[in-house]
Amino acid sequence: MAIILGAGIVVKLVLLLLLSFSIVSWAIILFKFFQVQRAKNESERFMDFFWKSKRFDSIASQVERFANSPLTVLFNEGYSELKKVVDSDSKSDGSALSTDLGGVENVSRALRRATNSEITRLEKYLTFLATTGSTSPFIGLFGTVWGIMTAFEGIGKTGSASLAVVAPGIAEALIATAIGLVAAIPAVMAYNHFQHKLRVLINEMDSFSTEFLNIVQRNIAGK
Amino acid sequence: MNSRVAQIDTGAGVSFIVSAVIHLAVFLLLAWWGQQFPQQMTIQETYYVDVVNMPANAPQSGGSTQKPGESAAVPPTPVAAPVMAIPSKVKAVPKITAKSSRPAAPDESAVTESAFAERLTRLESSSEARREEAILEKIRNKVKSANLSKAGAQGAAGVEAGSRYADYIKSRLEDALKVTSSYRSKRPEVAVRLTIAADGKLSRMKIERSSGDATFELAVRRAIDLASEKFTVPPNHAVFENGFIFKPEGISNGPSR
Repeated sequence: MAIILGAGIVVKLVLLLLLSFSIVSWAIILFKFFQVQRAKNESERFMDFFWKSKRFDSIASQVERFANSPLTVLFNEGYSELKKVVDSDSKSDGSALSTDLGGVENVSRALRRATNSEITRLEKYLTFLATTGSTSPFIGLFGTVWGIMTAFEGIGKTGSASLAVVAPGIAEALIATAIGLVAAIPAVMAYNHFQHKLRVLINEMDSFSTEFLNIVQRNIAGK
Repeated sequence: MNSRVAQIDTGAGVSFIVSAVIHLAVFLLLAWWGQQFPQQMTIQETYYVDVVNMPANAPQSGGSTQKPGESAAVPPTPVAAPVMAIPSKVKAVPKITAKSSRPAAPDESAVTESAFAERLTRLESSSEARREEAILEKIRNKVKSANLSKAGAQGAAGVEAGSRYADYIKSRLEDALKVTSSYRSKRPEVAVRLTIAADGKLSRMKIERSSGDATFELAVRRAIDLASEKFTVPPNHAVFENGFIFKPEGISNGPSR
């Protein structure tokens, strides 16, 4: 502890910056862990529920139970869009074929938009982990270089290069690199982990929207 | 949608607080660990054993590295024996080298070999002579100090104690010069006159003569700076002044005024 308190002002600032990076990145790691975990579990349960139920409106009435799943958002968006299409269809009772195709297109667009917004929501804050992982070793290195510079200045002033003069300065300089690595390593690991989890969720969303569109098209075509 | 956004935000806030608490806990754990098991980082101070000072003929007057309490523990060694023994040994050396080296050269039949051998012997004898010169000078100094102490100039001008103190200072300077030594020219030499005040602090330093090697001069200055941190109080609390001749291979006592 004395090694930190005895460091120069620049090294202290670097350590403070790295500490805040570490705190924020761990906050993001915890938050993302629970978010992704919830999304994954509730998506699974939602898919079970989705395949068991026969009607969209019965699903829509119970969809609140799976509020954390991105698939729920997709379903909501798709369903509301479908409802609008059906409503306008029954109102205008125009030529069936053109509105059918246009309706499916509309639903598809709504699903794509919902997918994008969900990806954005799930990817939120992950860039900070990537930034922490790639920059904090360099920030630590900067602190170390600065600390060693001041240490050598001290050596130059005292004129003796004995270990007793050199060692403390270098030790307090090296702690900056150590803290930088401590901040960076979990951030990089978590970033890669969440990238993988997100890819799985995105695939699920894509396949769900295809399924949804298939069902819509089948029903409209069979009408 | 709105309710969920709010939920996400509180989740972020909670995890931020949890993260901060974890960091604080780790920090406190490390601090506690450091207090519980403090690192032992003591730097061993160099302990000087003064070969020059040890066989003091009068420990109570000379040995400046000895603390007052220790002086009784040193057995009073006879004065004459060590001083006399060394010159006789050294005087024998030149005779032997002279006999063995000179006849060796003419015995060789080949011209080149003989020339080479001659050069080698010349080099050897010159280096030998230099070494002998250094030893002789050392002995001369010793004899001088021994004679003076015998003459009973007890504390007249602190001369006999001063010479011991000079040897002590010289060995400090030699240690320091080993650390700082660097030079450009072939045979640099710097003569310095040092004045050490009664409290053991270096009060004046004057370069009296220099061979002109600035690098070596700087090394000498730094050696003096370094050594002056470890100077002890001169004997009898008298101001001490002496000249030293610095060479890369060692330091010799200069002419004391």
